[in-house]
Amino acid sequence: MEEVTRLTVSSLLLAGLYAVMAYGLGLIYGVLRVVNLAHAGMIMGGAYLTWVLHGRLGIDPYLSIPVVMGAFFVFGVVLYKGLVRFLPRGAAGGGQSLLLLFGVWLLMRNAAYLLFSGNDQAVRTGYSTQGLRLLGVSVSVNRVAVFVIALIALGALHFFLTRTYLGKAIRAVAQNPDSCLLVGIDVERVYALTFGIGSALGGLAGLLLSTIFAFNPSSGAVELLKSFVVVVLGGLGSVVGIALGALVLAFAESFSILVLPSFLTAAVGFVLLVIVLVLRPGGLFGQRVLG
Amino acid sequence: MLEIDDIEVYYGDAQAIFGLSLEVGEGEVVTLVGSNGAGKTTTLRAVAGIRAPRSGDIRFEGESLLKIPPHERAERGIALVPEGRELWPQMSVRENLELGAFGKRARGRVEESLGQVMSLFPRLEERADQLAGSLSGGEQQMCAIGRALMSKPRLLMFDEPSLGLAPILVRQVFETVRHLHADEGLTILLVEQNLRKALESADRGYVIETGRIKTEGPSKELLQDETIRSAYLGI
Repeated sequence: MEEVTRLTVSSLLLAGLYAVMAYGLGLIYGVLRVVNLAHAGMIMGGAYLTWVLHGRLGIDPYLSIPVVMGAFFVFGVVLYKGLVRFLPRGAAGGGQSLLLLFGVWLLMRNAAYLLFSGNDQAVRTGYSTQGLRLLGVSVSVNRVAVFVIALIALGALHFFLTRTYLGKAIRAVAQNPDSCLLVGIDVERVYALTFGIGSALGGLAGLLLSTIFAFNPSSGAVELLKSFVVVVLGGLGSVVGIALGALVLAFAESFSILVLPSFLTAAVGFVLLVIVLVLRPGGLFGQRVLG
Repeated sequence: MLEIDDIEVYYGDAQAIFGLSLEVGEGEVVTLVGSNGAGKTTTLRAVAGIRAPRSGDIRFEGESLLKIPPHERAERGIALVPEGRELWPQMSVRENLELGAFGKRARGRVEESLGQVMSLFPRLEERADQLAGSLSGGEQQMCAIGRALMSKPRLLMFDEPSLGLAPILVRQVFETVRHLHADEGLTILLVEQNLRKALESADRGYVIETGRIKTEGPSKELLQDETIRSAYLGI
């Protein structure tokens, strides 16, 4: 029983991180119809930027959130305006944008190898080893902090998308870009903004990850794949769908250790992905796009 | 108010519009009628900026629109009710309407405009929190007209507003067009396949055939024209 409680708490905390990284990928896909493979690079880059800010300048990882998100927002906007803008979109252009963004990811990864070597790094703060008790289970302070920050980020995003003109414009562009032009929405600007926000979420996911796990320049790949799983499970419908998808993945992974050897944990998500694609190709919660 | 001057429009290599010219004066209701595929929608899309002409000019209040990006044309007072409504199906009716007032000029008056649209179409008020995609065809058409009105246009263009609607709703759509012209003072460019209804609501008409203007004149004369009567009205 205590084992079940422990796994429940850790899945719940993990789900927050999963939701943040998946939302970055899902938002860009939902609005631009582009699968951003460079998302893996954003996650890895976010972790390294946090590590540099902490190691060189002594900035606490959680205080560097605005810097990391700002940096990756700008990076995303530049990437959109400099490259992605020129590519065909949707089903017809899928191959080209996949290749291009895969190339961007490779560049980022190799740049990180050059700059930081391939050694594993971790962000260690004074409170890294501290724990607290939650529902009678001991968990690290960092995991709780990551969860709380993820919740705040997702809540803020939800508010932005449903309550502000610009956020509503982003959802409208996802649903029908031509009619957006008719009412005076600068669709190109919305695309750039969305790519920036999605990238900033990738950077944030990397920051959060760096406080819990060790990372190296190849990090981000597994996270990218998990983001896919969450997006397929939860759909592009809403923050709530993504959160549910993240919960399903996190619980499935955590509880699999009761019946599977631990080296198979990473495969659980993909088994889940295949099952969902076969049984419910529209995702667990339907096919709404940023509704 | 609107002058289309000898435009040529292409889809890739295929030419859709061949030197079309058309004029809409301030306060007029002008209709562009013709059969399916004649180039009516393309003409409106050129004015809205979604499909740029390869040559010729489009002027609004004396100023060329060609250099003005499509999203800024709403700000100038041009609105289009597109064919097939083109709403945002997974957003509420209220959100669809609010986004109609996205432009700077319109946004400051969004509450006032919402009230006007809701009193014009009380049905939209009842449905305000429903998803636009769940509305009936007639309600979607009201929502699309409402969205265009939210941008506070001076020139309102309709693309086949009666398409796919039941006869009673068709009548209602044309009554709305007349009301917007007579009571709100809007200038209207109406594209229709329903030639008789369109000409009955308009001051002047243009008949378009395979991308060229075939005939033009006051609506009353066009309705009496023998060739038009036999070709389009089956009389």
